[in-house]
Amino acid sequence: MEEYAIDIPVEPPKELRSLFIPIPPDYVEDVYKSDDFLVLVGPQHPGSGHMRLIVRVKGDIIQEVIPDPGYVHRSMEKLAENRLYIQNIPLVERPAIMDAPNFNLGYIRAIEEALDIEVPERAKYIRTMLAELGRVGTHLYDAAILAVFMGHTTGFMYPFGLRELICEALVRVTGARFTSSFIIPGGVRRDVDDSTFKWIYDMTLAMERRLKSFERIFVKNPTVIARLKDVGVLTKEEAIKYGVVGPFLRASGVEYDVRKVEPYEVYDELAWDMPVSDAGDGYSRLLVRVNEVGQSLSVVRQCIKQMPEGRVISDQIAEKGEDIRGSFYDSLYDLVLPSGEYTTLTEGARGTIIYSIISDGESNVPYRVRIVTPGWLYLRGFMESMKGERLADLQAIYGSFGYFPPEADR
Amino acid sequence: MIDVFQILNYFFGIFSSDMMDIPLIAPIVDYLMQIPLLNILVALILWKPFFAVVIMPGLVVLTLYLLYIVWYERKLTARVQWRVGPLEVARPIRGAIQALADGIRYFFQEAIVHREAHRPYYIQLPILAFIPVLLPILFIPAGSAVGIYTPYSIQLIVTFIALIPITIVAIGWASNSRFAYIGSVREAFMYFAYEVPFIIAVISMVFLYGSGDAYVAVEKQSAIPGALLNPIAFIVYIIAMLMATSRLPFEIPEADQEIAFGPFVEYSGILFGLVMVLAYEKLYIMTLLFTILFLGGWSGIYCPLLGDLNGPLWLFIKSIVVISILVIVRSIYARYRLDQALRIGWTSMLTLSIIALIIGGAVGVWLS
Repeated sequence: MEEYAIDIPVEPPKELRSLFIPIPPDYVEDVYKSDDFLVLVGPQHPGSGHMRLIVRVKGDIIQEVIPDPGYVHRSMEKLAENRLYIQNIPLVERPAIMDAPNFNLGYIRAIEEALDIEVPERAKYIRTMLAELGRVGTHLYDAAILAVFMGHTTGFMYPFGLRELICEALVRVTGARFTSSFIIPGGVRRDVDDSTFKWIYDMTLAMERRLKSFERIFVKNPTVIARLKDVGVLTKEEAIKYGVVGPFLRASGVEYDVRKVEPYEVYDELAWDMPVSDAGDGYSRLLVRVNEVGQSLSVVRQCIKQMPEGRVISDQIAEKGEDIRGSFYDSLYDLVLPSGEYTTLTEGARGTIIYSIISDGESNVPYRVRIVTPGWLYLRGFMESMKGERLADLQAIYGSFGYFPPEADR
Repeated sequence: MIDVFQILNYFFGIFSSDMMDIPLIAPIVDYLMQIPLLNILVALILWKPFFAVVIMPGLVVLTLYLLYIVWYERKLTARVQWRVGPLEVARPIRGAIQALADGIRYFFQEAIVHREAHRPYYIQLPILAFIPVLLPILFIPAGSAVGIYTPYSIQLIVTFIALIPITIVAIGWASNSRFAYIGSVREAFMYFAYEVPFIIAVISMVFLYGSGDAYVAVEKQSAIPGALLNPIAFIVYIIAMLMATSRLPFEIPEADQEIAFGPFVEYSGILFGLVMVLAYEKLYIMTLLFTILFLGGWSGIYCPLLGDLNGPLWLFIKSIVVISILVIVRSIYARYRLDQALRIGWTSMLTLSIIALIIGGAVGVWLS
């Protein structure tokens, strides 16, 4: 369509000067002189989460999006420097609420790598099961947020109803709905009895049945397909270039999953597939995660079937035949990691979680803990995918990425 | 004094000449008619034009409908979504007066007028918006009860329905806020997208019946309802009705997550209560027209005890059933994007409505 320039002097609104916006004033003037418009979405907007998106629009088409994250920054890395290693466990699992087992696992694996702790098989299986339960919960949570961003209230309520089953399973295993700090250096806190495993096994089957009704009403809904198909496309090259991670990278056709590439815990002993899509649009990002839920439930069932007998805490941490309960603090308060840097990669629900612990070798607190969360890693790709789409698509793309500001801001 | 009695008698004469004849309450009416001064009031209420406009299917029933539909929609959506829905207000009747409680709360809440608003219009428009909503009721006949009889009633109803979006656009303009502005623009876009197919669909039915008179339309549907005579127009009308009343999947002007209730974002208190029910009132008016055009209007099983009340009652029951079915789309669909909705309106719906026009002409020739 041909453009017609109208020669009217345009003044940028005065509020844009007085408000704190992390962009230079020249940029604002440039936007207004080139006949564009700045829309500030958030941080109090119903469709933005705890962040601000500075959207440059030409008519209805998004030209550029500048993120303004950091509204829920909790300074986890600095806090972690002043606490004992075990006191950091409840801290580092806080970024993503539902995904706590994965965050917990990554941190613990870094400590175990430093201290060469051999984890018993049974504990490994329990950890894998917890991690997958957390993954299912997070994917359901994100699908619900995507649904409500598109005005589909039933698609919002169904996953939240299903997520209650996950929470109930975590309550039965760990005692808390999420952020349970159940995974500790050397194993897990408590053993889990067979009736609980039986309950979780039945729960996964019940959840698969209910997921079918969710797929019928939301995933296969023609209005949902119309909103998400060919929207926010990231090609394979772009996804790699912008450093997108996790299911969103796999939705762009890259077969990369830390669980396959560098298997940890017992992922290499279980049979599961890596869902991949080539489209790279919002709908494929949803589909990949919907398929991952099915795979995760299958992994949970396999874990329960193959669960070996034995201890759940390493001999190196607790005396043989003893339980960690009652002596948790006594056994673990004086952990000192040998000097060096220990990095682990963990596949969280939203992507790769990087934990890097640097120890000076003499103090009982870490010298530095580096946490790179998936939200932060795919923020760039998320912003790039919105270019050229309509302003009304902003919420749909936001939801399709499942962006979770507390996780990205840490 | 003599003048006053003469005037009263004159009015009484007019009212009592054209009263609703309801055998069920006839003894009570006969008794009340013997009491001076009270009889003029009873005669007024039962005067057919007054009854049609104010009682049924007019204002009183409209209010009852609003209380019902807000509760029913929430309850139905909740049931679909594994929830309970409104319950705590009047537990024994499952929270049925929730809408009334909300209305009372709105009434006593402060209605904030923000500084940027165009104050006079901002306060007036929610009330002015009732005019185009209530005017069509004058022309909607229900059996023998009709406000103003005219052979062009269907065209007149459509005209007044077409006026409603103008008030909504004006509300968004008077709010003078970003989201309200975007909401009004979206409303204007949607208005053009549904209005043309909607009017063509109605015209096709007018062709079919050969008259814009609702009585003729209902009479011609005595054998086959209009929905079967012209199914294409039926479909177009339903989709246009969803678009016109901002129901999902076309809830674009009010999209909560995008523009936070659109044109009505700044309203609070009783003013919000008034603008919130606008879409429901529009739905009611459009469903009354829908029932007349496609579902045989007020014809139904005649109950001799009810007499003249049969017409309004059947019209009302049919409309309520139609609305109760329509509200389920809210829990099924997601929201379309504006350009997708416009595409649907200007391509498929326009094509369908033109096909409906041809069918309407052909069936009209066959019927006449």
